Amino acid sequence: MDFEQTWSIISSAFQEIRTKNASRLSYEELYRHAYRVVLRKKGEDLYNRVCDSEHVWLSGNVLPSIRALIAPNLVADLESPEGMTTSERRVVGERFLKGLRQAWGDHQVCQSMLADVLMYMDRVYCQDHRRPSIYATAMILFRDDVLDSRISDLYDRSILDLLNSVILGQIQMERAGDVIDKHLIKSCVYMLDGLHASKLESEDQRLYNVSFEQAYLQTSREFYRQEAQLLLAESDAGGYCRSAHRRIYEEEDRCKSTLMESTMPKIQNVVEEELISNRLREVVEMESGVRFMIDNDRIDELSLVYDLNSRVDDKKTELTQAIQKRIVEMGTDISNAAIVASQAPAPVSAPPADGDKGKGAMPEKSLNQQTAAALRWVEDVLQLKDKFDRIWRDAFQSDNTLQSAITRSFGDFINSPNFPRSSEYISLFIDENMKKGIKGKTELEVDAVLDKAIILLRYIQDRDLFERYYKKHLCRRLLMNKSISNEVEKQMISKMKMDLGNNFTTKLEAMFKDMTISEELTSGFKRHIEGLGQKDPKRIELSINVLTSMTWPLETMGSSDDTEGKRPHANFPPAIDRLRRGFEKYYNDKHSGRRLTWLAQMGSADIKAVFPRVPQKDGSFKERRHDLNVSTFGMIVLLLFNDLPSDQYLTFEEIQAQTNIPQPDLIRNLQSLAVAPKTRILVKEPMSKDVKPTDKFFFNEGFNGKFVKIKVGVVSSGNKVENDRERRETEKKNDDSRGFCIEAAIVRIMKQRKELPHQQLVLETLSQLVNQFKPEVGMIKKRIESLIEREYLERIDGASIDSYRYLA
Amino acid sequence: MASDTKYVTLVSGDGYEFKILRSAACLSKTIKNSLDPTYGFRENEENRVVLKDINGVILEKICEYLYYNEKYADSKDVPDPDLPPELCLELLIAADYLDGELASFG
Repeated sequence: MDFEQTWSIISSAFQEIRTKNASRLSYEELYRHAYRVVLRKKGEDLYNRVCDSEHVWLSGNVLPSIRALIAPNLVADLESPEGMTTSERRVVGERFLKGLRQAWGDHQVCQSMLADVLMYMDRVYCQDHRRPSIYATAMILFRDDVLDSRISDLYDRSILDLLNSVILGQIQMERAGDVIDKHLIKSCVYMLDGLHASKLESEDQRLYNVSFEQAYLQTSREFYRQEAQLLLAESDAGGYCRSAHRRIYEEEDRCKSTLMESTMPKIQNVVEEELISNRLREVVEMESGVRFMIDNDRIDELSLVYDLNSRVDDKKTELTQAIQKRIVEMGTDISNAAIVASQAPAPVSAPPADGDKGKGAMPEKSLNQQTAAALRWVEDVLQLKDKFDRIWRDAFQSDNTLQSAITRSFGDFINSPNFPRSSEYISLFIDENMKKGIKGKTELEVDAVLDKAIILLRYIQDRDLFERYYKKHLCRRLLMNKSISNEVEKQMISKMKMDLGNNFTTKLEAMFKDMTISEELTSGFKRHIEGLGQKDPKRIELSINVLTSMTWPLETMGSSDDTEGKRPHANFPPAIDRLRRGFEKYYNDKHSGRRLTWLAQMGSADIKAVFPRVPQKDGSFKERRHDLNVSTFGMIVLLLFNDLPSDQYLTFEEIQAQTNIPQPDLIRNLQSLAVAPKTRILVKEPMSKDVKPTDKFFFNEGFNGKFVKIKVGVVSSGNKVENDRERRETEKKNDDSRGFCIEAAIVRIMKQRKELPHQQLVLETLSQLVNQFKPEVGMIKKRIESLIEREYLERIDGASIDSYRYLA
Repeated sequence: MASDTKYVTLVSGDGYEFKILRSAACLSKTIKNSLDPTYGFRENEENRVVLKDINGVILEKICEYLYYNEKYADSKDVPDPDLPPELCLELLIAADYLDGELASFG
C-alpha cells in the first residue's frame, strides 16, 4: 500500500471522527496505518497532511458555524453599545459564547482522538525532528483559523476581540446585579488560558493574559473610577466603605468562579487603587467620615475603614491621621471645658467695691469649682480613653500601629502647652479618691480606680511636675489624716513604682517612713511622760509628726509667702510651750544634733470648752460643753481668751502682738473662728467678712452648736486646684529643680564623654531626662552657659561645630 | 458499550483470542486508546481488539507479560519474566507497536 492510499484511508477516517462517527472505525487499524507510514519514514508528509486537512476543516466548517452565531446586533454593539437592552445583549452574548465553547470542546476531543491515532508519529517522528506534537499544533490552528479570523468580511475585528468584549459585557452585567452563566464564561476563559499568543509557550504569553486580562483590568479600572465618583456623591462614608468592601470580595469571587485565580491580585490591586487609595482621604474626611463614626460609635463602619486602609497601606496613614486628629480635638475640648469651668464666675455675684481682701469667701467657692473641673477633666479623659480603647479593640483588631498612634495623641493633648494642668489634675483625682472616692468600695474597685490614675500618669511627660503635686497632696493627706486607707496609699505608690521606676517613688516612700517613725515617737514620748510619774489630769496629749525637711514639700503647706525664709516662731501659751520643750528634750536625747522646727500652721488641737450659763435664743439656760477641733494657731488664739473676763476684748493687733502668728495665717484663723456662722466661737466687732487690724474680738458666751464635737475648718485647707499665683510659684520651683536635673545630666554625660558637640550633648541630655520631663532646649542652653561660667565645661576653640570639653 | 466489563478480548492476526483483565491489557497505550470510551471507536463498542500484526504465539507471551506486570506492579525483588530468546526480536517489535512498558524487556 503506498502513502497516498493510506492517507486517503486516514483522512476519510478523520472526517468521520470530526463528524462524530468514530464507532464504525477501528482504532487499531488506523493506528496500524499511521504506524506503518511512520516506519516508512513518511512521518513528515503525514504530519503536514494532517495539518492541512485540519486547516481546511477549521476554516471551512467551524469558522462559518461560529460566524453564523454572531447576531448582527452583537457586532453593532461592539461599535456603539447603546443599541440593545441588557437582557437582549446577554442572550445574544451567551449564544455566541455557547457556540464557541461547543466548537472548542469538539475540537479538543477530536484532536485528542487524532493525536492518539497518530501516537506513533508523535513518539517517533515529532521527537526526532523536534516538531511540536500534533495536538499542540492543532490547538494553534484553532487560534489562527478561528479566533484570529475576522468576525465577518465586513468587520475588521477578530473573533477573539468579540469574545473578549462579550465576556467583559457579561461581567459588567453581573456587576450591575444581573445573573450570568459563570460556567460558560469560565470554559471560554479556560480556552484562552490554554492558548498562547505566540509560538513561545511562556506563561505570560497566554491569550488570557495577553488579550483578555489586560482589557479586563483596564475596563475594571474605568468602571471603579466612575463607581467611586458616584458613591462619593451619593452615599455616606459608611455606605461607601460597605460598597468598596463588597466590591473587593465580589472581584475575589469572580476570579474564582468566572475567571482565573491568577488575576486575583491584579484586579484587587485595581479595585484597591480606585476605590481605596485614590479616594480614602475623601471618604475619611466626609461629613459622615471617621469623625462621625467615632462620635457615633459606628464600630462596624470603623472596622471597614480599618480593613480598607490596611489593604492598601501597612501604616494605615489616612485612618491614623483621622483618629489622631479626632483624639486631639476631643481631648482639647475636654481641656478647654475644664479651663472654662474653672474660670467661670462663681454663682454668687461678687460684692462690689468691698476692697481687695473682701473676696475671702470668693476664691473658696471658685476653688471648689476648679477642683470639680479637675475631677471632671480626669473622668472625661478616662472616658475618652475607654472609648478609643473599645474602638481599637473592636474595630481595629488591636492593631499595633494604631495603638501607638492613639497613645501618642493622648500624650499630645495631655501634655499640650496650652493646657499645663494635667499633672495637677491627675494628682487631684488621686487625692479626691484617697479622701472620699474609695470609701465603701471593694478591693477590686479600688484597684480599678488606681489603675485608671496610672493609665493617665503614663501619658504625662513632665513627671517631675506631677511628683511635686503628688507630694504636696500626699503631704496634706498624711498630716491631716485625710486618707481613708493607708493600705491603698501604699498600693498606689507601688503601682507608680512599677510603672515609673524606683527613682520616682523613693521620696514618696520616705514620707511614709517618716509617718511610721513619728507614730513610734508619739507613743514613745507618751510612755516617757507617764514614766515621769506626774499624773496630771490637765495634761495635754501630744501627737507629733517629725518630717525630714528635704522630703516633704513643706513650703507648699500653708501660705507663708511673705515670711519666706525666716519663719517667725509663734508664741505658744505656757502650758503648750512646756510640752514643746519636753518633747525637744526627749527627741534630742534620742537623736543628737538634729534641729526641730515647729510648724504650727500645720497642726491641730482638740480643746474641751465650757460655755457658761447665759440665756439662749430658744430660752434654755444651761452650761454647754463642746469638743473643739481647731488648728494650732486657732488654739493659741482661743487660749488667750481663757484668762480674759467675758466683757473684755482683744483687738486684732493685740492678738497678733501676743501670739506672733503671721498675719495671713492669723486672718484666716480668725475668719473661721469669728466669721463662719457654724463655728463662731468669737464675736467680732464690727461684724463683717474681712478682718481689719482694728477689729475687736470677744469670746462668744452664747455659742451653741448642734453637736458636741465641732470641727473648725480653716479657710482653704485641703487640696484644691491652685490659683494662678500658686501655680506660677509651683512652676517656678519646678523650673528651678529642673535646672539642677539638667545640670546634673550634662555633667554626667560630659564626665563620661570628655568632649562632645553641642547638638549631641543636647540630644543625650534629652534622652537622659525623658523619664522625668521634657526640658526646653533653651533651658539646656542656659544651663550649659552657666556650667561654662562656673568652669565645669569649656568651649573647644577652633572646632568646626560648637563643641564642649569637660574640665575635671 | 462494554467499557465497564472486567475482561477484554485480544485477537491475534492468525485468529487466536485471549480474554484478559482489562486493567492488565491497558498497560499498552495502544490497547488503552482503542478501548477509550470517550472516543467510541469500534474496539470500545465490541470490547475486542484485533491486533493484526501480532501472531498468536507472541500475543500469548504478551498476555503472560501483562499479567506478570499486573501481579508484580507494586512489589520489589521481582523474579525475571520467562522470555524464550528465540521470541525476543518479535516481542520487541510488538512492544514498540503496543507502546507500553514491554519495551523494557530488553
